[in-house]
Amino acid sequence: MNRRFLVGLLLLWSLGPLLWQLYTSFCSDQALTQPFASIDQRWTLIHYRNVLTANPPFWRYLVNSLLVGLSSTLLCLVLALPAAYALNRIPCQLSIMSRLALVGAALFPYVLLFLGLLEFARGLNLGNHLLALSFPYAALSQPLAILLLNNAFNDLPPELEDAAKLEGLTLFQRFRWILIPLISPATASTAILVFLFSWNEYPIALTWISDSSKLTLPVAMARIAGSSIYSVPYGAYAAATVLGSIPLVLLVLIFQKPIVSGLTSGAVKG
Amino acid sequence: MIAFLLLPALLLLLVVFVGPLFRYAWLSFHADSVVTGLIAIPNGGANWLRLVQDQRFWQDLGQTLRFSGVSVGLELILALMIALLLDQRWRGRDVVRTLTLIPWALPTTVMALGWRWIFNTPYGPIDHFTRMIGIGSLNILGDPHFTWMATVWADVWKTTPFAALILLAGLQTIPVDLYEAVRLEGGNAMVCLRRITLPLLRPYILLALLFRLAQAFGVFDLIQVLTGGGPASSTESVALYAYWNALRFLDFGYSATIIMASFILISLICVVAWILLQIIIPTHSKSQAVVEP
Amino acid sequence: MIMNQIHFLRRILVSLIVILIASTCFGLVQARTTESVSFLMAAPFADATQDLVKQFNREHRGEIHLHVIKGPLETEAMSDLAISSLLLGKAPFDGLLMDVTWLPKYAAAGWMEPLEGYFKQNDVDSLATGAREGNSYNGHLYRWPLTADMGLLYYRTDLMEQPPETPEDLVEVSQSLQKKRKVNWGYVWQGRQYEGLSCVYLEMIDGFGGDWIQPDDNQIGLNLKPGVEAAAWLQGLIDQGVSPKAVTNYAESEALQSFKVGDSAFMRNWPYAWAELQKSDSAVKGNVGITTMVAEPGRSTATLGSWGLTVIKGSEHVDAAVEAIRFLTNDSAQKQLFLKSGYTPTQQSVFDDPELLQQSPILAEFGRALKVVKPRPETPLYAQVSDVLQRQLSSILTGEQTPRIGMDRATSNTNQILISAGDRP
Repeated sequence: MNRRFLVGLLLLWSLGPLLWQLYTSFCSDQALTQPFASIDQRWTLIHYRNVLTANPPFWRYLVNSLLVGLSSTLLCLVLALPAAYALNRIPCQLSIMSRLALVGAALFPYVLLFLGLLEFARGLNLGNHLLALSFPYAALSQPLAILLLNNAFNDLPPELEDAAKLEGLTLFQRFRWILIPLISPATASTAILVFLFSWNEYPIALTWISDSSKLTLPVAMARIAGSSIYSVPYGAYAAATVLGSIPLVLLVLIFQKPIVSGLTSGAVKG
Repeated sequence: MIAFLLLPALLLLLVVFVGPLFRYAWLSFHADSVVTGLIAIPNGGANWLRLVQDQRFWQDLGQTLRFSGVSVGLELILALMIALLLDQRWRGRDVVRTLTLIPWALPTTVMALGWRWIFNTPYGPIDHFTRMIGIGSLNILGDPHFTWMATVWADVWKTTPFAALILLAGLQTIPVDLYEAVRLEGGNAMVCLRRITLPLLRPYILLALLFRLAQAFGVFDLIQVLTGGGPASSTESVALYAYWNALRFLDFGYSATIIMASFILISLICVVAWILLQIIIPTHSKSQAVVEP
Repeated sequence: MIMNQIHFLRRILVSLIVILIASTCFGLVQARTTESVSFLMAAPFADATQDLVKQFNREHRGEIHLHVIKGPLETEAMSDLAISSLLLGKAPFDGLLMDVTWLPKYAAAGWMEPLEGYFKQNDVDSLATGAREGNSYNGHLYRWPLTADMGLLYYRTDLMEQPPETPEDLVEVSQSLQKKRKVNWGYVWQGRQYEGLSCVYLEMIDGFGGDWIQPDDNQIGLNLKPGVEAAAWLQGLIDQGVSPKAVTNYAESEALQSFKVGDSAFMRNWPYAWAELQKSDSAVKGNVGITTMVAEPGRSTATLGSWGLTVIKGSEHVDAAVEAIRFLTNDSAQKQLFLKSGYTPTQQSVFDDPELLQQSPILAEFGRALKVVKPRPETPLYAQVSDVLQRQLSSILTGEQTPRIGMDRATSNTNQILISAGDRP
């Protein structure tokens, strides 16, 4: 029972704020100001209607974030897979050095890069191009991706590749038909972590995108915060937070295994 | 051939990580602002001199350090408790672990908006609670004494699951017979924690600490949406100040100087924190052998 | 299991790319026949001009299509959005509705198209005196005013015959009304740490005979006698109970709320508040008068805060944009905006319109206030300079430092900003 109490507390702490937002999002404006009093017209869907029929509609941001997330993940993996493989085949000293550098880069508070990346976007005219965001995103998630995938390559028995070499398979063939299938669990968890990062990233999207129809979800949320058109806008805020949370809650529930294994294997081996 | 495999990733990393840092170092010795027509003109060390005299920068730095220190400290303690709870075997454990992960997965700005409502005076639940138990309204987001605590709260809420998961991974590498040995010698739970758990968890605690410290120092999303740096700039972080300087004041030279200074400071802080933790957490003779397979 | 997931993700990705390409092609095929012009405006202005825009598009069908992009509500958020768009290079709009304080910064950054080739001297002469201010920088005209805006002192005509003229009078009247329990508070104003506080302070420092930054020699007047007096007077209002303590967190809407329910005798606000106070839910409807800010005799000013339209440099539709600006700022548009949304006109002829004056006599008061407007310091560094002042004032008002010390700090910080920007030797 002691444990049950602690678990209850933990769940309340983790989910309470979300549930409160869920509750708020269905409350009418009058009910909002008296959350614990009993009011006749408490429940309403008006906030959802407002958010979904705003211009541009809310689902647009979700689609934008999805597009950026998918393209970033793809680009990141395409670059990280060969690099992670190669990292085991360079001189040992160099390999350790680069792994340390990668850990450093993974720790780096990347928000400090916003100004340099903004200038970069200005110089190459990448501003307001949604898919151009995958470029910095793939780069920023590269350190973690390489480290995770490198761990997976490390775990493969070296005899496997030697045997394939004897069979006469080229590097690409070995890669495509033997190595990649074998590390697909690690690839999947890396992909989900990269996707989560790209979906959630804020400072760079904030400085690279200004066109309201191209905003990603986090920036759109911040802009909703800065532009309240309603007198007590919190109902609309709450509806927006709920709608913005649903895809990720689903993602976590569906992919919890690869997420956890990705995070923990990074910790255990890193 | 190998070089060919590494090159694309390396190039991308250089452009995105190293490029900006060199650019900042260069910009910090130039005036590049709206006054110069957004053209960089060398100005010696004027930016750095200004930084040293800039009360606002030092205030923001203090606030950022307070935020990072308190929230990372709380996070680690909470994360350790959660990890210990989740390390035991009980029904429904996997479900609970998944559910606690949700706050970590949400975009910061989404829940920052939520926290604004939760901390709202007088309609938010926290304000209702404090009035109910007789403390009265705290005006959490309007009073500089409390607002920073609200930002810490929101940050701890979001990032604890991550730290807990890392520590949980560490806990699961500790062989059960080590605990048995201590119990046989008559040690209680506290002794187990001090003699086995903490020393063996050391690498994980270090990892979580360094990662979270660096990220907390660069706090930006949460502050910008939850408080906008207010009230009275009491929650402004250095990253936010650098952002204002670039995008509101159009002073890129000074913004780069602030970022460069922050980068140097956070590197120093991480090194110091690492050394300190090496000293504070007792070592266990077997820890190395256990953790590095 | 995981392989299945990857296949699934891959399939989604491929179909998304196909959709993307298809929709792009579709967009390209649709040929454009009319010139399309877009303006970015803060949300209230976008709403207020909706009918005018429709009218414009009706009259220019087949030639120009004007599209208004609705920005955020708050001025700061609006500015952030505009700047981030402009920094990225090609802005997704041709024109921008701009606050008076942004202009020097945007002009110095080279983001705006000079308009003197389109608006001639006789156009400028048709503007009311106060509306001519704040549209030019470095000898170029960049902005054409849509609506004038100035700080006003609102008072209750049911509580006094004549509004007070000096700061001492205001305190005296307030205290006697408070003693008689006619009102809870004497004077409500904008004391939160934001741009509104700078506007309040500007009127006071001018009223005490000083200058924030002297336009001709850039001399900072914050820590001179009038500057300190102005800060001390504002702080004294809170100390003496003339203004509520919470005024340190008041913006325009909070002040209006307090005045509207009849809680206070005086309020500092902009012209928009007049229309709000005449609505049926206002407790003081019909009992409100307006005048300019209290000051030492002959020194009363009104902070200039106006919104005007600009054309972004690099726009491919400058002529069409100017055409739209002319339409939105002509006499009949201004009358419409005034009557519908309470926006102060900028054309002198509208102020002189006898019919309009009869319909709403308050217009004459607006016109009088517009004659004593005072711009805030016109420098590209205004955002920083004002930020410094707000910080120090805010901590003076909350009692964390004395006016003397605060104003000394504000002066040295302002100086530092001007020096490091190379604005002075």
